[in-house]
Amino acid sequence: MKKILFLIVLGTTALLSVAAAPAQDWTSLKEAFRNIRSVKAEFLQKRYLQILTKPLLSEGKLFFYAPDSLRWEYLSPLRSVMLQKRNTIQVYNFSEGAWKPEMTQAVESRRMVLAEISRWFQGRFDESKAFKQTYSPGPPARIILVPGEGINRFLQRIEIVLSVRPGVIDRVEIEEAGNSRTSIEFRNVVINSSIASGVFEKP
Amino acid sequence: MTHRKGLDICLLGFLILSVGCVSLSEKTLVPGSPDDLPGCYAIFPAEPWESVYKLEATIRGGGSFSLLGVTKGEPSERRLQSLLLTPEGFILFDAELRGGEMAVRKAMAPFDSPAFAGGLMEDVSLLFLPPKDKPTGWEKKTEGTMICNWEGPDDSHTEVTGSMERGWRILRRDKYREVIKEVVLKGPFVNGLASRVELHAFEPTSYRLRMTLVQPSP
Repeated sequence: MKKILFLIVLGTTALLSVAAAPAQDWTSLKEAFRNIRSVKAEFLQKRYLQILTKPLLSEGKLFFYAPDSLRWEYLSPLRSVMLQKRNTIQVYNFSEGAWKPEMTQAVESRRMVLAEISRWFQGRFDESKAFKQTYSPGPPARIILVPGEGINRFLQRIEIVLSVRPGVIDRVEIEEAGNSRTSIEFRNVVINSSIASGVFEKP
Repeated sequence: MTHRKGLDICLLGFLILSVGCVSLSEKTLVPGSPDDLPGCYAIFPAEPWESVYKLEATIRGGGSFSLLGVTKGEPSERRLQSLLLTPEGFILFDAELRGGEMAVRKAMAPFDSPAFAGGLMEDVSLLFLPPKDKPTGWEKKTEGTMICNWEGPDDSHTEVTGSMERGWRILRRDKYREVIKEVVLKGPFVNGLASRVELHAFEPTSYRLRMTLVQPSP
């Protein structure tokens, strides 16, 4: 379950670098994806749980540098960061005034997930065996991911809503089994700016 | 100079030990005024509630983790549902306690042992549900501080001390009257929920849990 949902969050990052344009199709999406070198963004995550009347709010920021460097960081309410640089995955939680590496098992599960995600980073969406992808031109343009057998016990659907601004997405909606869902809204998205390599190496 | 420094350390140690010993001593109480009895329940939410706390746990031996704890309570039914979530919002643990019966809906490693589930729900109960029966003794001090004692069916004892202004402390003692859990609840209290909570378990496993209120509601 954790692997699957983590994959979704990271998959979102990959799709941040997908450009939206009128009359867009898979081919042009792939082409636009190839032109993206880096992405910086802030995000607001709203986690809707059956147990809570109000969504659980989390804020964070992400950095992506093609082809395989990623920093996905939560700033509140808990500080946590996942770092990927080539084949190296590191996960840290900020606790008692210091960054502490997360349990090895969790890091390993993320590594497996990222093997799948790496195909997305390269625009090879149609190679994913985990999801069936559909493109809807909109407006707004959307990419809909429907999981295959097994994963659909936990996850029903992912919808990525693209911005009219090329290379930017507005939000991602994740529907899970059991009436829970997550919305991730992106803002202050900057594309193809320089990012220091240390961002992907240390918390 | 060295002698003076040593003396200072001894004094400091004595003070720390003194505070610990005095604060954990047990006071024998008899039933007090019926008018004061509601004060024994002031720390426990009386109406349906829900909360999100940031949890920082330290287990003896060096292990630690940070998670989000989501809890919903229906006091009239003595019902509690608790979730543990990663910073990303993934549910690692989901269990419900209703009328003393526990049902674990989801438990992922390393939180998938029955002992963990039982211990976690016991801690949540200690924090948010008053003992089932009436206190065996209580006293309201002149400055408004309440002291209340309960005896449990397993010969355990629960002691609640404090006030909404000064904060509260809950002690759970075993049948030998040894403190096995200590909870300190600090204000400000939002919708009856403490902004900060520190739980220290001594037996059978030693751990410390710091909780910070993130999101009270409704």
